[in-house]
Amino acid sequence: MTSARTIPWGAVPFFAFVTVFLIIPVIANVWAALTPAGQLSTASLTQLAEPQYADAFLMTTNLSLVTALLGGILGLILAWALTVVNRPAWLARLVMSYSALASQSGGVPLAFAFIAALGSQGLVTVLVTDVFPGALDDFRLDSFWGVALVYLYFQAPLMTVLILPALGALTQQMSEAAQTMGASRLRYLTDIALPILSPSIVGALLLLFANSFSAYATAYALAGGGLNLVPIVIGFFLRGNVMLDESMAAALATGMMLVIIIAMGIRLLIERRSRRWQLPSNS
Amino acid sequence: MAASVEFLTTPTGTPAGTGASRARGAGRLGHGKRTRAAGRLHVLGIVVLVMAMVLFFTPLIASAIFGFTLPGVGLTFASLSQAFSNPMAVQAVIMTVLLGLLTTAASLALLVPTIVYLHLRAPRAAKLAEALSVIPIVVPAVALVAGAGVFFRAVAPGFLVSPYALVPFYVIITMPLVYRALDAGLSALHLRTLFAAAASLGASPWRTLIGIVLPNLRAALLSAGLLCMAMVLGEFALASLLLQYTFPVFLVETGAAAPRGAAALSFVTMLATWGLLALISLISAAGNRRRRTPAAAPSVTSTAKEQP
Repeated sequence: MTSARTIPWGAVPFFAFVTVFLIIPVIANVWAALTPAGQLSTASLTQLAEPQYADAFLMTTNLSLVTALLGGILGLILAWALTVVNRPAWLARLVMSYSALASQSGGVPLAFAFIAALGSQGLVTVLVTDVFPGALDDFRLDSFWGVALVYLYFQAPLMTVLILPALGALTQQMSEAAQTMGASRLRYLTDIALPILSPSIVGALLLLFANSFSAYATAYALAGGGLNLVPIVIGFFLRGNVMLDESMAAALATGMMLVIIIAMGIRLLIERRSRRWQLPSNS
Repeated sequence: MAASVEFLTTPTGTPAGTGASRARGAGRLGHGKRTRAAGRLHVLGIVVLVMAMVLFFTPLIASAIFGFTLPGVGLTFASLSQAFSNPMAVQAVIMTVLLGLLTTAASLALLVPTIVYLHLRAPRAAKLAEALSVIPIVVPAVALVAGAGVFFRAVAPGFLVSPYALVPFYVIITMPLVYRALDAGLSALHLRTLFAAAASLGASPWRTLIGIVLPNLRAALLSAGLLCMAMVLGEFALASLLLQYTFPVFLVETGAAAPRGAAALSFVTMLATWGLLALISLISAAGNRRRRTPAAAPSVTSTAKEQP
């Protein structure tokens, strides 16, 4: 082979496009984070440890943990219900299709739908306060738990969609074999089902975590600038609402990418391991 | 759906479509194995499903009622028409539709020839291209804007001012899904055979691509296009941070002053987005069914195989 043939000329436009609009911006980000005043320095990155930025990372992490764990639990329960209910079939089919759609929702429309339901004038708010006056006085959609609740609307069905294939791989033979050998249902769950499912569950939770960590539109539409989340703080920098250097926004964005890359990297490793379990049981 | 990751999350295959249908298949598998229990109703399971349905529908129904009724008036479109009395509203909708169409066109024009070429000529580079195509999953929209701002302000300061500067970035954030949808569609075709057969009949590679490959790729092209439209319809972070006035940006602005109008628009938008996504999974389900029946296997490929 000559050297000319080893270069895939036909794919050059694609690689050039990805380089200009994705790779270089990412590198520019890291570069800007490392060169605050035109000179190589870790000043911006160390500034991330200052209370206001550290708090943003802490709050975003908390929000992501809470919505990943609660969403994970709810999603697992829903996935379990989907595998055990076969009658009425239309109900299971409806919930399945709806979960797939809801898992992709989010953004501005979802935020306003929740404001219509649970905002201060929302329909559910009015209904509940009619029956239990004052019950929702402390609840606000633009608070931490308000945003967390809205995130659960897509996090829980996302967990369901992610975990269903793994649940389907648990075969009836496995539970029957365990029963034959005298295992209780609890024993089957803790010693067989959970160990087999755990890589898939942890992998899905990491994806939920990353999903919530990078979400911007939903939180912005709900809370405006009121909530100290990393994507919203970066947004403030970029809109020019905060008179500070570009390098700080770049440092925040770099930190954010780092968190997500770590979460997704662990997920990739776990997924490779879990494939060992799933392949034989599928056949 | 401003957060691209929200969309991308479905694990493998074309997201909304294949992920859903795969999961559904797994569910059905489970049912088959539980034939003993088939006769009775699983009460606890049904309770969970019904509760899930109620919770799923609550915000949707609330936004419909909140947006399309007024106290003392009943059903009305007043809130909706009031939102559209803003002269910027129509402009924002047109801009968003235009961006969706341009993104679809740019995405297909870039990716289809590239993936065909990689399949035929450079399988090793294909692995690299596939790996690159999923990188946007770990780059949040906010981070992409930050980096793009740094780079383009230094190189081409005027570029980010135009609303059409959003198109290449939309191509990037839709790429993980669109690339996989097209790659899966093209892998199902016998590309080498098709191109060899067409070449033996004297067709140029471009003519083969347009006359033979594209018609056989209809389902994948349609899915990819609908995906682009659905994502652009909901994209907020890039448009808002690059100071462009698209539909989601208009929606946030409206919401501050007119929550009922925003609720009505949100209801319509959610239905439209879900309609697009449901269409994708219908298309991919129909495609799978066709592929499974041997008689209906792509007729072009079966005839092409007989050619030397």
